[in-house]
Amino acid sequence: MNGSVRSSAGLVWRHQRIVWWIFVVNVVIAWLSSLPARATLSKVLDHSLESAKLVTGFDVSTLGLLVERPDVSLRVLASGTAGAGLIFLIYLLLIDGGVFATFLEDRKLSRSEFFESSGLFFWRMFRLALYSFVPFALLIAANFGIAKYAGRLSSDAPSDRLGFFVSIGGKLVVVVVALFVRLWFDLAQARVVQDDERKLCGTLRRSLKLAFSSGRLFASYIGIGLFAAVTFAVGIAVWVYLPHSATGASFLVLELVTITQIASRLWLKAASARRIALLPSETEVPLIAPRESPAPVLEVTDVQTPQPE
Amino acid sequence: MEIRCWRICLMAIAALLSASGAAQSTPLSERVVAYQIEGAYNAKTHTLDATEVLTYTNHTGTTLNAFPFHLYLNAFQPKSTWMTEAERIGQRDSEMGEGWDDKHYGSNEVKSLEVVGQGDVTKQMKFISPDDGNADDHTVFEVALPKPLPPGQSVQFRIHFVAKFPEVVARTGYKRDFLMAGQWFPKVGVWWNGAWNCHQFHATTEFFADFGTFDVKLTLPAKWNVGATGLQTGGKDNGNGTQTVSFHAEDVHDFAWTADPTTKVMEDSIRLSSGTVKIRMLMQPGHMASAPRYLAALKGTMQKFDEWIGAYPYPQITVVDPPHGGGAAGGMEYPTLITADTSWFMPKSLLLPELVVEHEFGHQYWYGMVATNEFENAWLDEGINSYTETKIMDALYGRNTSVLNSRLATGGERGYQRMGYVPVSNLDPLSRPAWLFENNESYSGITYGKTAVVMLTLESLIGEKAVLHGLHEYFERYKFKHPRPEDFTSAMNEATGQNLDWYWKQAIYGTQTLDDRILTASSERLDWYNKAKEKKGVTVYHSEVIVHRRGEFDLPVVLEAKFDDGSTVRANWDGKDRWHRFSWDRKEKLVSAEIDPDHGYLLDRDPFNNSWTEKADRKATGKLAGYWTLLTQWLEQALSWLA
Repeated sequence: MNGSVRSSAGLVWRHQRIVWWIFVVNVVIAWLSSLPARATLSKVLDHSLESAKLVTGFDVSTLGLLVERPDVSLRVLASGTAGAGLIFLIYLLLIDGGVFATFLEDRKLSRSEFFESSGLFFWRMFRLALYSFVPFALLIAANFGIAKYAGRLSSDAPSDRLGFFVSIGGKLVVVVVALFVRLWFDLAQARVVQDDERKLCGTLRRSLKLAFSSGRLFASYIGIGLFAAVTFAVGIAVWVYLPHSATGASFLVLELVTITQIASRLWLKAASARRIALLPSETEVPLIAPRESPAPVLEVTDVQTPQPE
Repeated sequence: MEIRCWRICLMAIAALLSASGAAQSTPLSERVVAYQIEGAYNAKTHTLDATEVLTYTNHTGTTLNAFPFHLYLNAFQPKSTWMTEAERIGQRDSEMGEGWDDKHYGSNEVKSLEVVGQGDVTKQMKFISPDDGNADDHTVFEVALPKPLPPGQSVQFRIHFVAKFPEVVARTGYKRDFLMAGQWFPKVGVWWNGAWNCHQFHATTEFFADFGTFDVKLTLPAKWNVGATGLQTGGKDNGNGTQTVSFHAEDVHDFAWTADPTTKVMEDSIRLSSGTVKIRMLMQPGHMASAPRYLAALKGTMQKFDEWIGAYPYPQITVVDPPHGGGAAGGMEYPTLITADTSWFMPKSLLLPELVVEHEFGHQYWYGMVATNEFENAWLDEGINSYTETKIMDALYGRNTSVLNSRLATGGERGYQRMGYVPVSNLDPLSRPAWLFENNESYSGITYGKTAVVMLTLESLIGEKAVLHGLHEYFERYKFKHPRPEDFTSAMNEATGQNLDWYWKQAIYGTQTLDDRILTASSERLDWYNKAKEKKGVTVYHSEVIVHRRGEFDLPVVLEAKFDDGSTVRANWDGKDRWHRFSWDRKEKLVSAEIDPDHGYLLDRDPFNNSWTEKADRKATGKLAGYWTLLTQWLEQALSWLA
C-alpha cells in the first residue's frame, strides 16, 4: 500500500461519519422509492400460499409469473428506481463541496461550514458532472463497440474463446480509462474547492495535466478500484452461500457490500483531495495557489502590515 | 442368355441389398418415396452439385397429374416469404430480423428436371405460392406430368440441382468449415387428406414429408468427419483430396447430413427393448466437457421413451454438436440425427445441453415416426414433445430443478413451459397453422408451452398414468402415418376410456384462458348477535370462500380449506358458473383456503390468486422488496461515479 492510499484511507476513516451519512441517505432514498413495489407485492403475496416458493427458495418461474401479473409492472417499478438514482446523484453533487472541504482541511467541519461549502460549490460540481458525461458517454459507446466486436469474434473467429477474452480485456481497458477520467474530474473537483476556481474549462485543463503527471495517484485509484471490486465479489459470494430463508443475514451482508462501495468511492475522493492539498508544497514555483488560496494571502498581510509603520 | 440374365438380376438384387446395409426385413412405413442422390460438395463456395432420382409410388388411390416440390433453401433470399416474415414477426435465430446480410443467401437451383421415360419437363416447372401469393417466394414449384400417374403405379424424376448453403440460419448452412445440410434437396409434397400438401417455407414453420428410403452418396473433402441420417454404407478416399461416402436410410421422411474437419467422433451404445442402438456423437473439440452431459441426457431420454411411449426402431442415433457461432444449426431434429447446443463455458447448474438433447431426441418419436404436419399442426409435434420433455427432464433432473439448479435460483420445466404460455395465452389457438400466428412469441408460447401445460393439466383430471398410456396408444396407432389433431384426440379418448372432447375443444380449438381465484374468504361467528365472548371449541363459525372463474376456460375446481385445529376439508365445484360459494359451519375458524391444492392446473395463468390465508405472511414481500431496495441502492451507487 503506498502512502497516498494509506493516508487517504486514514482521511476516510477519520471522517467516517460522511460514509455513514451517505449510506443512510442511500438506504432511505432507495427504501422510499421501493415503497410502491412493497405495497404492490404485499397485495399479491401476503395472503397467498404461493409466496412460500419465494421465501424457501428462489424459483425463477414463480418470479416470472409474478411479473406477468398486470398489477406488477416492472416498468413502473423500474422508473421509481431510476428516479431514486437521479435524486441520489443530485444529493451527492450537493454535498461534494462539503466532502472535499472536509478532506482538504482534514478537520471536522461544523454543520454550517459543511453545508456552506456544499452550497457554495454545488453549481460548479453540477457543471463538472455535466462535462464528465462526455468522456463517460464515449467510454460507454466504446464498451458497446467492444461488446459488439467481441460478439462477432465469438461467432466468427476460429478460436471459440477469443471473443470472450477480447470482451474481458476490452472491459478492463474501459474500466481503467474510466478510473482515469474519474481521477481527472476528482482532481478538478478538489481544485475547485481548494482554490475556489470558477473557470471550469481551465480547471479541467490543468487537472488533466495533473492527472497525467500523477502516476502514483492513478495507481492508487486502480488499487482502490480493485479493492471495491474484490469486496463486492466476496460479499456476493458470501451471500450466495447463505440459505434462502436467512433473509436478515443476506441483507446484512449485502448492505456491508454497499457501505464498502460508498467508502471506496470516498476513498478515491480523499486521495485526490490529498493530492491537491499537497500541491503547493510539491510545486517549485507556485503559480496559482499562493495568489488565490486564503492562507498565503494572510501570510502576506502579516508581513506587509509592519512596513508602513 | 437366359442364365446370364438371371445372374445379372441376382447380382443386381445382391448389390441393392448390400447398399441397404442393415436393411430391415419388413418395412415399417408405407414407403411412398425412394430418393437416390449423388452430389459433390464444394467447401469453398458452400455449394453442392447433385443429381436426385426420386421414385414416387402412388398410394393415394387417385390418379395424379401434377407434383409439387419444396425448394427450402430458396427461403434464404431477400424477398422470400420466410425472410419477409422473419423481418416482420421474428423467428428463433436472434441474428435474423436485423436486416439482410448477403452471407445468409441460400438457394436450390433446379438445372434440369426429367420425368424418366416421359421426357424433360424443366420448362414446365412453375413456382407457386399457395399460402400467401408471394410471387417472389420460390420455395415451392409444381410440375405437370406428361402422362398422369394411376394409383399403384410409380413415377421417376431425375433432378439435377445445385444447392447453395447460407451461413447457418434456421437449422441449415455452414459456419467456417462446418456444414449442417438440412432441407437441401428438392423434396416432393405430401398427398394428405385428398390433396397435395406442400406449403411454402415460413419463418415459423417446419416440415412435412412422406416416408421412404434414401440412398445418398456424397463427395466431400478428404478426412472430414461426416454424420447423416441412417447408416453409413460405404466410404473411400478418392486420392485427389476428396472422399466419397454413402448412406442408406429407410422408413424416414427426410435426410440430413453434416461434415466438419475438426469434430471428434465419439461412439457408445444403449440397450433398449428394440435391441442395441448405436450412439454416435460428433463433438467440437472445445465442447468436450459437454459430451458426458449430452450422453447421459440422451441415454436417460431413450430409456424413458422406451419405457413410456414405445420402441426406437432404428439402429443408430447421431448427435451433432455445432461449433461456436453455429448455434442456428443447434437444437434441431432430423430422422436419426439431432443437433445439440452448448458452448465452451456451460455451468453445470444450467441444464441447457441436457434439455436440448432431450427435446431433439423426443422429436424422433413425434416428428420422426408419428410425422404430423408441422405446417398445419405444429403442436402435435413440438407441443407433445414439450410435454414429454417436461416429464423426462423432471424424472431425470428433478421437478423444480430441471432447467436451472444453482444455489442462487432454481427453475423447473413446468414453470418454464408455463412462463412461455402465460404472456400469449389468449392470442392464438393451438389449432392455428404455424404461419398464421400473431408473432413468433405467440407461435412458440402456444405451440410449445400451451400444449405442455394442457397435457400436464390433463394429468390432474385423469391421472398421469392415463395420459402416458394414451400417448403410448396414440404413438403405436399412428407411427409411420401422418395423423391429424382429431386422430390424436380420439386416440387419447379411447385409450383413457373417457370422452375428453369438452377439454380438447377448449384447449386445442379455443383461446379461452383459465384464471380461477379466491374472491373472498371469511370466518365469522354464527351467532353474530351474541355479545358473549368467543369460546374456542364452543363458538360455531360460519366460514365461507367464494371462488370466482375469471377466465373462460371451464374446469372443475377443487378447493382445500384449512381450519385452526389443523384439519382440512376438500370440496368440489364443476366450474361451470361464474362463481361459487363454499361454506362450512364449524367450531373451528378457517385459516386458509386454496384452489387446485395439488398444483396441477398449470393452465391457470395466475397461481398467486389461487389461495388465501387469514394471517398475512410478509416474508416474501419483505424479501423481494428488500432486494428491490438493494438493487436501487446499487444503481444509486453506480450513478455516484458521475459525482
